[in-house]
Amino acid sequence: MTDFLPTLLTLASEPVAAQVGPVGFAALKEVSLSAPLAAWLIPGLPMLGAVLAVLMAIGGVKSKLPAWTTVLCLAGSFAVTLWLYLQMRDAGAAYTTVKLFDWISFDYLPGKAFVANFSLYIDQLTCLWMLFVTGLAACIALYASEYMSHDVGPGYCRFFFAFCLFVFSMACLVMGDNLLLLYLGWEGVGLCSYLLIGYFYAKPSAVAAAKKAFIINRIGDLGLALGIMLTFVHFGTIQFAELLPKVEQYVALATSGNLAAVPASVQWIAVLFTLAAFGKSAQLPLYVWLPDAMEGPTPVSALIHAATMVTAGVYLVARTMPLFQCGAVTVPPDAWVLPGLVVPALDIVVWGGALTALLAATIGMAQFDIKRIMAYSTVSQLGFMFVGVGLASSYAGAFHVFTHAFFKATLFLSCGAVMHGFGGQLDLRKLSGVMWMKGWLVVGLAMLVGCLNLAGFPFTAGFFSKDVILAEAFSNPHQRVVAWILLVTAGLTAYYTFRVFFRVFLGPKSFEPGDEAHGHNDAHGHDDRAHDGAGHGHGAKGEHGAKGEHGAKGEHGVGEKGAHGAHDQAFQPHAPGWAINLVLAVLAIGSLVAAYAYPTKWVKGLVEKSSAAAVDLTGSAAHAPATLLGMDPHEIMYYVSAGVGAVGILVAFFLHYLGRKTAATSRADAIKLGALQRGAQHKWYVDEFYDATVRVPLKVLAHVLHFLDKVLVDGLVNLAGLLPRGLGMSLRPSQGGELHGYALAMACGIAVLALVALFSLV
Amino acid sequence: MIDTTFGVALTLGQFTLGQFTLGQGDLPAPMSGITLYHYLFTASTMFVLGLIGFLTRRNLIVMFLSTELMFQAAGIALIAFGRFHMNQTGDAFVIFVLTVAAAEAALALALIVLLFRRKETLDGQAWASMKG
Amino acid sequence: MLLVLILIPLLAALCVPVLPKKHVYGAAMLGTLGALALGVFMFAFNGIDWLAITGDAYTDRVSWMPRIGLQLSVGVDQVSGALVLLSLLLGPITVACSKTAITERVRTYYGWLLVLQSAMIGVFVARDVVMFYIAFEFTLIPMFVLISIFGGSNRKAAAIKFFLYTFTGSVIALAGLLYVAWYYATKISPPSVGGAGTWTFDLETLKSAARQMPAEQQWWVFLALMLGFAVKVPLFPLHTWLPLAHTEAPTAGSVVLAGVLLKLGTYAIYAIAVPMSPGAAVAFAPVVAVLAIIGFVLIGLVCWVQTDVKKLVAYSSVAHLGVCVLGLFALNPTGLKGGLLYMINHGLSTGALFLLIGMIYERFHTRNMNELGGLARRMPVWASFMVFFAMASVGLPGLNGFVSEFMCLLGAWQAGGTAWAGLPGGTPGVLGPAYVLIAAVGMVVGAMYTLMMVGKVVFGPLKTPEDEHGHGGGHGGGPGGGHDDPHGHSKLPRDLSAREIGTLLPLAALCLLLGLYPKPLLQAFDHSAQKTHQLVVEAMKQRAAAAGATAAAGTAGTAAGKLEGSGTAGGGADQ
Repeated sequence: MTDFLPTLLTLASEPVAAQVGPVGFAALKEVSLSAPLAAWLIPGLPMLGAVLAVLMAIGGVKSKLPAWTTVLCLAGSFAVTLWLYLQMRDAGAAYTTVKLFDWISFDYLPGKAFVANFSLYIDQLTCLWMLFVTGLAACIALYASEYMSHDVGPGYCRFFFAFCLFVFSMACLVMGDNLLLLYLGWEGVGLCSYLLIGYFYAKPSAVAAAKKAFIINRIGDLGLALGIMLTFVHFGTIQFAELLPKVEQYVALATSGNLAAVPASVQWIAVLFTLAAFGKSAQLPLYVWLPDAMEGPTPVSALIHAATMVTAGVYLVARTMPLFQCGAVTVPPDAWVLPGLVVPALDIVVWGGALTALLAATIGMAQFDIKRIMAYSTVSQLGFMFVGVGLASSYAGAFHVFTHAFFKATLFLSCGAVMHGFGGQLDLRKLSGVMWMKGWLVVGLAMLVGCLNLAGFPFTAGFFSKDVILAEAFSNPHQRVVAWILLVTAGLTAYYTFRVFFRVFLGPKSFEPGDEAHGHNDAHGHDDRAHDGAGHGHGAKGEHGAKGEHGAKGEHGVGEKGAHGAHDQAFQPHAPGWAINLVLAVLAIGSLVAAYAYPTKWVKGLVEKSSAAAVDLTGSAAHAPATLLGMDPHEIMYYVSAGVGAVGILVAFFLHYLGRKTAATSRADAIKLGALQRGAQHKWYVDEFYDATVRVPLKVLAHVLHFLDKVLVDGLVNLAGLLPRGLGMSLRPSQGGELHGYALAMACGIAVLALVALFSLV
Repeated sequence: MIDTTFGVALTLGQFTLGQFTLGQGDLPAPMSGITLYHYLFTASTMFVLGLIGFLTRRNLIVMFLSTELMFQAAGIALIAFGRFHMNQTGDAFVIFVLTVAAAEAALALALIVLLFRRKETLDGQAWASMKG
Repeated sequence: MLLVLILIPLLAALCVPVLPKKHVYGAAMLGTLGALALGVFMFAFNGIDWLAITGDAYTDRVSWMPRIGLQLSVGVDQVSGALVLLSLLLGPITVACSKTAITERVRTYYGWLLVLQSAMIGVFVARDVVMFYIAFEFTLIPMFVLISIFGGSNRKAAAIKFFLYTFTGSVIALAGLLYVAWYYATKISPPSVGGAGTWTFDLETLKSAARQMPAEQQWWVFLALMLGFAVKVPLFPLHTWLPLAHTEAPTAGSVVLAGVLLKLGTYAIYAIAVPMSPGAAVAFAPVVAVLAIIGFVLIGLVCWVQTDVKKLVAYSSVAHLGVCVLGLFALNPTGLKGGLLYMINHGLSTGALFLLIGMIYERFHTRNMNELGGLARRMPVWASFMVFFAMASVGLPGLNGFVSEFMCLLGAWQAGGTAWAGLPGGTPGVLGPAYVLIAAVGMVVGAMYTLMMVGKVVFGPLKTPEDEHGHGGGHGGGPGGGHDDPHGHSKLPRDLSAREIGTLLPLAALCLLLGLYPKPLLQAFDHSAQKTHQLVVEAMKQRAAAAGATAAAGTAGTAAGKLEGSGTAGGGADQ
């Protein structure tokens, strides 16, 4: 730590674009690992864990065994990742591919092959990502072993099955050597997210949230699938090692200011990928699923919906940075509106990220459910990351992903501990002074560390990573507006973060247990089995589960207050056990130590020695260091952002700590902002807006189509069927059924024939 | 009435068949004097009688008998033509028809018995369940 | 050997009527298992290198009516082989899933089920047009019986509609086939033009004969064939018989219907309609593709508002086969292989979904999603399978549906006409990104309705009709202990029985296997798909040349340049 400050100061004066020589994929050399197939253990061990969990479910294991196998498998996976990292670190700027077996590979024309194999692409970016994914996953699995202990049995197996499958999918996503394997991971994590959000499947709200997450993600996946097809059709390959060199010529065009000359089919790839990234990483306009995803168990929220899965979008942008550099939306020159306009894909990324950051922060300020506040903060921080990568600085984005993974996991797990201990209580108006209760100090301290990081308190990891993004934004003369938006957001973030901390963890000691304290928990899996047979109770029980929305809507929670009051004396919060405390301590320390990655340029080195480094072949003036207030942006940002963060914390301190006597009220209650406040509380009515503009019209359309299908399409068929029927009906009277009638008709027939014969003879 | 009918038929027969007698070409007619048309006249008379019987009577058994009459009328015509053409085709046919008629008689009478058992009547008009 | 394969279920079907009632199930199982065993032996262990052969294997010809060249001619290539295996696999499964569901008139039931099995194999192995048609039509009769006797409440109407609709379609197709035979006998075969002067119904001969027809006649033949086969697929807007038939059919009927019978249509399109008139296929590809996409997206939306879970899956079949047809009409190897793979995959996953719904219906006697819910709690094994197959059906990568869906869409994009054919990943063709962009929306719609179904039936608060009526579940002891069913005709455990799991496991294993390692099938389909694509490319060249010639006749001055320009491979393909 001795060289910490001096390094900091030298860094501050370093110009941003001081890169020499080839960067990006061109700078990488291919190496081979000492034991290549061992790299497959990284996804392989979690898969093994998943299979074991299934076997244990079949075998009816009713202990914590699935958790231990999972922790072991994930820890093993982390160890292999570490080994891989050490190898790659020694290799320097290099990459390697490790093929396991063929997946979708076929000839699409004689001699021309489409290749998408189970094959890994490993470079330093891969290592960075997998290190924190597997490391955090192992920690959180340990945490979950205690957190989910009320559910030991089939539910426990199910949880850890999906958990392992998630890590497997994430490994495929990050390590896949082709876009299609990335897609497999992409949808795989979506599936696990679906299964885990809907873990408490008896709760309709959880099921709805899971469905919402999957479907909105599917919209994003659509972009990815189409982007992959477009990539293949244009380049004839989707393997990174073959694809990235082929993109270089277009990158050269784009960076020399000739973006419009890039063929439209190349430009669109990045735009489609943007859709995918915004879906998975919960950005405008597809962010609405993430806050609802908090219906899942908290370890899931921490791992999937904060630290790892939601950063997949950032990873996608970083991994395909060359494609993004030459991506754009080009309006044809003969269009009647905005002819010839070229909007770079990276600008879309930047603006999407910035607007999401601001919007989510404003919503987060007005929520009362602490888990939801954290969810909105995740959305907001993801916006920061996108601004980072959108400014063609994979490093800025990836660094924030890295630090955020630690401190957001810490925050979520602390909230989870609170939720676990207080019977599912999440309303910040019903908890106060938790830190000073017996056995809650570790949780409180971990929360403090997390909050400091999130608020960007000086010399924390979050402070540095946010700084890098802000400085990048301020040094780009075209993105000044974005930079100011982010700066404001940083202030808001500091406020809402410490609002939670001051209200829940400090202040007078007081609490009100949540719904789950009433003798039933929300995962009936096992108790159902115990006294089932009496099927009568089910319906009613399910409805109980429905109530366990954890006060998602603040007002409702207040309304139910009276009902809870009677139980308060009986309820004793149980402080977290060793597993939860241990994991919280590890992660809190980790998120502090992560700061060290800034002065030592560890993350920066990793990213820039990978294919994700933005290629600037021309060394154009776009990245010339701009100045802000006459100083280098990096340098001044230390002071500005620290100041903004401090203001936010102070405001929170004043409004939510000073003079607060009870859990439910604070000085902030006196502030009435009317419609603004209501809007933020109701999440700016975005869900309602989507419901009215997308879901309801679609539903109506579906009903209309169903009606048309029944009446028009099938009606025409029935009409066609009526034709022979009508013909038959018209001939029907001729069949009188009377024997003599038929005989007479025959006789007449014979007579006619005889006459015809007669006259033809004549 | 009968005379008139007979006369018309006779005239028509002569008119159409001319002077043909049984036997063809140079071969002598085995039964001179009786010509093909006599046979045909008999056959058609029988046929018409059968037809009239079938159309006018309601008793199922009588109706059945009438159909037999028509059958045999056709048989006579066939044999007569066979003789006229001096080949056995007609004879073969008639034997065939006779066999069928015998089988039919057995079946039809059995059916009639069954029908009678159902409705205790032989009235053909009692059965009209095939009305469309 | 193929004839033996057809005969085994038929023989079993002949035995069934004379056996005592309690042995009928065993006999049917034996028949289908025997056929499956023989099939597996023939296709896997008989030393045939399916990747290397370029024609048919196991060809066999028995003269039938020599004067008009009619033969019992059979043979399998990789494509029909895969489909035969699929039908053989579904055989024992359909028998097993009926064990408790069908308790009356078992002889009729299993007899016709076995006949159906033979007829389906017959369609895939027929190499003679008349035999093909007979087998094609003969699938209708058993299915008609199964629906009209063993179906639901509206079974009569459903059976009649199913029969008449598909029959009308195939009669039109027959007209097309007969026209080709007539064309061969009168225009190609006469000695005056150097032919042998005979009639024939040999499939290969007629295919090449049809390709020699003038373009307009090919168009008519193609239209007739497509009309007949599209009803079977069913392609929008000829699909309305399907939801009705599926809803009313007994479980085994639905499984066979979705698993194999629908594939008769796509198989016939692939194996007969396209090779007979590749030029017309190119000309009509955009139209067919639009219909397929309407099916995929709009019928997908219709699924979304169903309340009958079986009807939902039935409608989803229409949607899924839309993608399959889109892939086939991309007319390039990617799309063709994707479409072929889709046939197999859809048979596995949708067949399994129908099995799962049948199990629910047997227990609760309802398929109404508003009366069912949260079954994950009561039937965790069933729920796991349901989620698994739902995901396979949605097209989750790693499971089988994804591979084929992706290939169909990619194929359609690759076939992007002149603008795209020149790119490294492009192929000649007449579709393109516009089709894919719209079709891909169907992927989201697919997720919407499938998850709606899963969300309602599998998840949520537990809800069954029994609980609402206040009886039923109360009798159940521990898991596995059958409860007194008030309707009195099945003794089923609360969750799935070993027999039921046994019907699902092979399908699940194959879904996973084909999702992770589809390569053997993709390689096996390669030769056939490349050959078909070659025919299409030649037809495109001819069309381009014809168009060039017309232009030359019109404006003599610029004709030369145009002819040259459009004569290149794939050129002018997007007209």
